[in-house]
Amino acid sequence: MGQLFAVEVIGRGIFQDTLAKNITRGIVLAAHNEGKLGISFGRYGDSPERNGIPAKKFAIVASDEKTLQLGMAHYQPSQVDISIVLDDTLCKGIESWAWDGVHAINEAVKRGGTQIVVSTQDPDALLKLIHRRNEPYKLGIVKGIASFSGLWVYKDDHTDVRILGAIAKAMPELFGLASIEKYIQAKLKDGAAKAQSAHKAYERFTPVEIPAGKGNAEPLPRFELPGWSEMRLGVSVAGQPQGGPFEDPVTKKVGGHRPVRNDKFMKYTTRSQRPVINFQTCTKCTLCWLNCPDGSFDVTPDGLYDADLNGCCGCGICEAVCPVKDCITMVSEAEFHDNDSQWLRFKKNKDDYITWLTTTIKGAEKERTHGFRYRGQYQEQVPAALEIAQKS
Amino acid sequence: MATLTAPVKEIRKSEEQEALITGSEAIAVACKLANVDVITAYPIRPYDTVMQYMSQLVADGELDCEFIVAEGEHSQFEIVKHASACGARTFCGSSGVGWMYAMEALTVTPALRIPLVALVGNRTLDDPGAFGVEHNDALSVRDLGWMLVWVDNAQEALDTALIAYRVAEDRRMFVPLAISCDGAFLTHSQSYVKVPSSEQVKKFLPRYDRGDLLLHPDNVISVAPQANEDWVMEMRRQNYAVTERACDVIREVYADFERIFGRKYGNPFFEEYLTEDAEVVLLGMGTLSTPVKVAFDKLRKQGKKVGFVRLRWFRPFAGPEIAKALERFKAVGVIERDLSLGSPDLSGVVATELRSAMYSHAKTRPPVLDFLCGLGGREVTVADVERITDLTFQAANGKQQPLTQWIGLRG
Amino acid sequence: MSTTYVETKPTQELEAFKGVKKVPYEEYFTSGHRTCEGCESAQFMRLIAKAAGPRTIVLGATGCMYVANTSYYATPWGIPWMHTQLGAAGSSALGAAAALRALMRKGVFKDEPINVIAFCGDGGGADMGLAAISATLTQADYNLLIVMYDNESYANTGIQVSSTSPFGVNTTFSTPGKKKRIMHNRWKKNVAGLMIAGHPTVKYVATVSTSYALQAMNSVRRALTIGGPTFIHCLNPCPKGWDFDPAIALEIGNLAVNTGIWPLYEVEKGELKLYGKTREIAEGRFKRLPVADYLLKQGRFAHFTDEDLAYFQSQVDDMWNNWLVPGVIPLRKQAATTAPSV
Repeated sequence: MGQLFAVEVIGRGIFQDTLAKNITRGIVLAAHNEGKLGISFGRYGDSPERNGIPAKKFAIVASDEKTLQLGMAHYQPSQVDISIVLDDTLCKGIESWAWDGVHAINEAVKRGGTQIVVSTQDPDALLKLIHRRNEPYKLGIVKGIASFSGLWVYKDDHTDVRILGAIAKAMPELFGLASIEKYIQAKLKDGAAKAQSAHKAYERFTPVEIPAGKGNAEPLPRFELPGWSEMRLGVSVAGQPQGGPFEDPVTKKVGGHRPVRNDKFMKYTTRSQRPVINFQTCTKCTLCWLNCPDGSFDVTPDGLYDADLNGCCGCGICEAVCPVKDCITMVSEAEFHDNDSQWLRFKKNKDDYITWLTTTIKGAEKERTHGFRYRGQYQEQVPAALEIAQKS
Repeated sequence: MATLTAPVKEIRKSEEQEALITGSEAIAVACKLANVDVITAYPIRPYDTVMQYMSQLVADGELDCEFIVAEGEHSQFEIVKHASACGARTFCGSSGVGWMYAMEALTVTPALRIPLVALVGNRTLDDPGAFGVEHNDALSVRDLGWMLVWVDNAQEALDTALIAYRVAEDRRMFVPLAISCDGAFLTHSQSYVKVPSSEQVKKFLPRYDRGDLLLHPDNVISVAPQANEDWVMEMRRQNYAVTERACDVIREVYADFERIFGRKYGNPFFEEYLTEDAEVVLLGMGTLSTPVKVAFDKLRKQGKKVGFVRLRWFRPFAGPEIAKALERFKAVGVIERDLSLGSPDLSGVVATELRSAMYSHAKTRPPVLDFLCGLGGREVTVADVERITDLTFQAANGKQQPLTQWIGLRG
Repeated sequence: MSTTYVETKPTQELEAFKGVKKVPYEEYFTSGHRTCEGCESAQFMRLIAKAAGPRTIVLGATGCMYVANTSYYATPWGIPWMHTQLGAAGSSALGAAAALRALMRKGVFKDEPINVIAFCGDGGGADMGLAAISATLTQADYNLLIVMYDNESYANTGIQVSSTSPFGVNTTFSTPGKKKRIMHNRWKKNVAGLMIAGHPTVKYVATVSTSYALQAMNSVRRALTIGGPTFIHCLNPCPKGWDFDPAIALEIGNLAVNTGIWPLYEVEKGELKLYGKTREIAEGRFKRLPVADYLLKQGRFAHFTDEDLAYFQSQVDDMWNNWLVPGVIPLRKQAATTAPSV
């Protein structure tokens, strides 16, 4: 058997669809400059991609046809040499569809393989989120904020070529820097600047060894799929039951409404930002609860609105619709390590909560927008993104 | 088109009665006996006379049901599909390309476990739009999980319609069923039919009960969420399990039918005529049985040992039974009223499936010849039958015959 | 005494919610659906379910609200729901309504008002399923509501044009290219107007917006109370297909109304009532915002030139200045009998 390489790219659906495609294509084309063959494709089950819902794309590269065929025998590689995560909030785990549970980002990485994450944080911070494994691997950061855009307008901020640079450093047998530069000059606009970005990323990329057992120890929710004789007939499933009131931990009053939530697809791994809520300044206008497309708000017994953080997908509509300044603030999901109820925390100690809230929203990463708002927006954002990427 | 006779107006409570009615009207009477709840109609020849009878029955208060004229066959079948999902016993039907227009609706009903009962007035597919009989319309759903049965006279049409509701609505089945009546020849021709009493039907046909699959606010379910490759094979296996037990359920129901109505069909899956001592046997579906029987009475007088097997149930296909019944003959000739262009040996659907059953189950393998005949509504004549018999005898006597031949074709 | 030709059974008396604080807590469309961040079509499903309540049956035609919503063997629906085919919203609603009517009459089911609601997207409603909806709207005996959620594309298949897609829009079937910048030169079909003009016995047709959540729910409640077959057309901004930050979904919906592009109105037994900002526009109390304010906030129009914007504006101006019934019926006043050319 010749050489066989597999790379997966994990990104936010739609927001990072074009970016992920550019990366996997770039891998194949760069490797081709060294005479290797390859294919790039998306995971079929992810299609159609939805805003934010984690999706995977792959590049399989081989030294010859027969070896490539070996790599293609299984539709999607169960083991990869390199796994790339395009948004560090994905490090908490990815839930791509129902009944699939939450998966660790590094589950497919080979023994000794490399996990690359686009992040402004360092490996130690990320290891609080990235799940531990039974085998050692390497973890490397490509410095930068997550690059998001949409279907029709792309944010060309060099993330794709910087990742190629990092890959060349992590696995020179796959392709070298020269091959990347050749690909860039031949196929991409703004070749000189991009080649330089790739070069810098290559130099800066310094993965660290992660021993077996180091990382997030939280268990990952999984399901067992029922067999055909257990499944209901006629493609039917039981509907959702109705929710009901619940207890205030402090006053013991029972009231409000907590809907029953779908346990087969929780959706929290979709979000890259979460609403931080100031229950003190809330005027109970109902608009956040009313306008949440995911019905993520519980109505508390005291008439407040608490975002259920297992269900919230971080769209930001609640912040946009809230009439009170700083009452709801979307904050990068990277700042948080649990899905615990904010209202419960507030009820248990109001002052603590408000102090925490004030600090949290002040430091909210303002760069993490996830979408188009006006023409020319992405061009304006690119220099700032490049600057962050290039700061040591 | 035949003028409508005075339809059967009054169903007697405890007595059977006799009536001179067409195949279509026999089905209409069965629906009245079965107390269907929702019917959808759309005009296309030749099935739609059944709907004209239905309209009269409903207008005269003889049948209490919703009678909806749809704006196309796709909607026609979608309406009854959802009516059935909500607990209604339904009746629907079409012919030819009308049936094909409904194809999307037809495709999904087996997986949804919707026990529609439909009449297909077999009609040639367009183009060129002839009204006469061909079987390809009904046959086009044979892989999808529909049950398919062919009848050849009005009595059988009425009886089979009642049997159809009982079989389809059996919880072990719960899949749709199409009754095929040859266009014009059966739909429009009249014969004497024994019409059961309402008491008899009540004993035979329980109320349609969807149980936990009912779509109703008291039973909160989601029916047919979209599934991916993790689920589909298991769902298909469930429909497959239906086909594994279908023959047993059909046998059980026919036995019960005989017990209650007194009419004996014997083997539900096919009728045998003069096969006991036959050397050569012909096989076919539907009303071609009449010219065959007339031809055979003549040939038997000439000393030819001929027999006929008229296939009723095409789905499920009772392969082992058919193979066992046919293996002892010297040759089998299939009178094929359909086409399967490009198939193995360019044979029609029936011969191709029959050969498959023989290959798997027959201890000995007589030649099975296919005769494409009576397509596009052309009659299968007594002379055609004699010619087919002659050619099949030649094969029986060792003279090799082409596997597929056209009979009654000009030029 | 005259003959009763049409007999509609009683419906539920669903009174309008008098304000956001009166909206009930119960969710009949809960979380965990696999829709995009900021999906306004899902929000519409949630509002419909909330407005209709538990004595309801929903039929859902193929589309985003089928594949994304009730996907992969899970479901967010707390009321009975059944999938139907892309062009079968009209026929499925009729089938369900017919079954309920027959079975209640025969005493098999308890005789009570049960809402029947079928939904379809613009692909399933304005294109494939138009005939079925139209036929059902003539069936005056049956109480049912057909809602069309309009995200202006075939969204579930990855965004392709439908006959409600706006002029010039970028989709995978209408890509702006070197030779043809504008592949989709069709103007948005006026579906609600079509339903009003073509079906004289329909008692309720309305256009709604998820940016006006309360009114959207109250329209649903009105439709389910008034009896007979009814139709509601909702504009649902789609952050994925239209390419905008999900957070501004409601702002986009408001801009559609405030530019006059999406008129809000109800027609109840033939009487037309404009509402919201649309009414203020018609009464001259609010000046329509330029269409560019709305179009240029969406990546799907990022390729538009000034000429394209001017054309779009002229069509919207024509709708308001020259239609006999602005936003509803495109018969033109005497003075302006020449339609603007494409």
